[in-house]
Amino acid sequence: MDYFYSYLILAEIYTLLGLSTNLLVGVVGIFSVSQAAVFGVGAYIVGDFLLAGTLSFLPALAVAALACILLNVLISLPSLRVAGDYFVVTSFGIQLLATATFTNWTAGTGGANGMPGVPPPDLLGLPIESTRGILAVTTVATLVACLAFWLILRAPFGRLLKAIREDESAVAAAGKGVLSAKVSAAALAGAFAGVAGGLYATYLSFIDPSSFDLDASILLLTMVVVGGARTLAGSIFGPFLLLALPQVLTFVAIPTTYAATARQLVYGALLIAFALFRPQGLLGERL
Amino acid sequence: MTAYLEVCGVTHNFGGLQALNDCAFAISQGGITCLVGPNGAGKTTIFNVITGFLRPDTGRVGFRGRTLSGLAPQAIVHAGIARSFQNLRLFTDLTACDNVMLALPDRAGETPFGALFRPFATARSDRRRRADALERLDHVGLAARADERVRNLSYGEQKLLTIARLLATGAELLLLDEPASGLAAGALDQVMVLLRRLRGEGKTLLVVEHNTRVVQQIADEVLFLHQGHLLAQGPPARIIADPALAEIYFGGAL
Repeated sequence: MDYFYSYLILAEIYTLLGLSTNLLVGVVGIFSVSQAAVFGVGAYIVGDFLLAGTLSFLPALAVAALACILLNVLISLPSLRVAGDYFVVTSFGIQLLATATFTNWTAGTGGANGMPGVPPPDLLGLPIESTRGILAVTTVATLVACLAFWLILRAPFGRLLKAIREDESAVAAAGKGVLSAKVSAAALAGAFAGVAGGLYATYLSFIDPSSFDLDASILLLTMVVVGGARTLAGSIFGPFLLLALPQVLTFVAIPTTYAATARQLVYGALLIAFALFRPQGLLGERL
Repeated sequence: MTAYLEVCGVTHNFGGLQALNDCAFAISQGGITCLVGPNGAGKTTIFNVITGFLRPDTGRVGFRGRTLSGLAPQAIVHAGIARSFQNLRLFTDLTACDNVMLALPDRAGETPFGALFRPFATARSDRRRRADALERLDHVGLAARADERVRNLSYGEQKLLTIARLLATGAELLLLDEPASGLAAGALDQVMVLLRRLRGEGKTLLVVEHNTRVVQQIADEVLFLHQGHLLAQGPPARIIADPALAEIYFGGAL
């Protein structure tokens, strides 16, 4: 049962990330390949505060969310100047920069050896040690994020964001500001990723740069492509499906040393297959 | 008396190409002014300058006695000038109604704060907005297609939708870039009737148009642009009858 709970917790954390990526990439069309970097910053900030004992879980999570809001706005800013393909290149550079920082800044992140012993989350001074307790926390966070995503998509704000993805000049010609809407969306996506990072660090209690590298960013994009862009259902379904795959793969007789490679292969093949044959994903729209 | 819209000495270069060369004209309030001229005369460029999409190298644009130069496109819409695009630029994944709703000046619920923390007020104001948008769609004869995605609309319907979206901004001076091009006879007549009706409702229209028949039928005044410079201004009959202008327009003389 704990094994299943563990799957649910991770799937929920990745749902937060899926919502973050879908908002930015699917809804507004800011094609970021560095969302895992923002996720990582959230995770390391919460890890650092809890290990140092300077803040308890919720304040640390709030600081992480705030930092990720600022960071995501900052790294999305080039999208106001460079569009489409060029932004992907910029974003790629940001991801490499983040991975290099996570790997080499030993004092803040533990470097390549990772950051062990992150304490479990606590509420009002009571540590939440049980898997079920943590599941409750991630479920609440995911439900709140889902509600926020849904409210945004159905509000005029969501309509504005979708219009921006299609044609920024036409939005300006309709008398609406593009800049403030893009910045707001990036901020929200940053908050989701930051909270996901904090939950991830406290649940696993060990984090290292491999969870926040380019592969992780591309996994998040794959989740959006497979689940479907611009829908709540797609943002949830993508992560739940893709995280179930490794479990399914364990039933296939491949040596454990190749398991990670096999997983990457399947993710890559899925990304290609969906882009070619079902660009709208399973439950969404075309990216 | 100051002119309604005033373009003074506007020059704009794209690299080595002089798109606008000391372009100057003024139009008065009310009525339909057609902007004509051969390809590359600078018609769309002057639209882009007036609406803030291009910053001219020199010169100024004035509207109701106020200088617009340097304002962002959305600020110019708020000042009362809105434009359509030659290539439509509709939001094709959204519905016709959404396209119009987006252009309404109401900004309630357009920030995450409103969307997240005032969901009920946002939903209420959006219902009002939808009613407004349906009215605009009805105005151009598209009410029945309100919930259709734009990419499923015919080209003629899409052209009408760009006018509905333009109306939604609430602007009083409308700049239309070839609203009649590419339309079959029936749809063409429909657009001309619509433009005349807008004039009757007090809008001022500046229209880029190539079709001389359309120009003759709708224009109160014609501006003839050539090589980025205003060559002639006057009633349509006189401009169209001028052999020198006809030579430039059809003959490609320099």
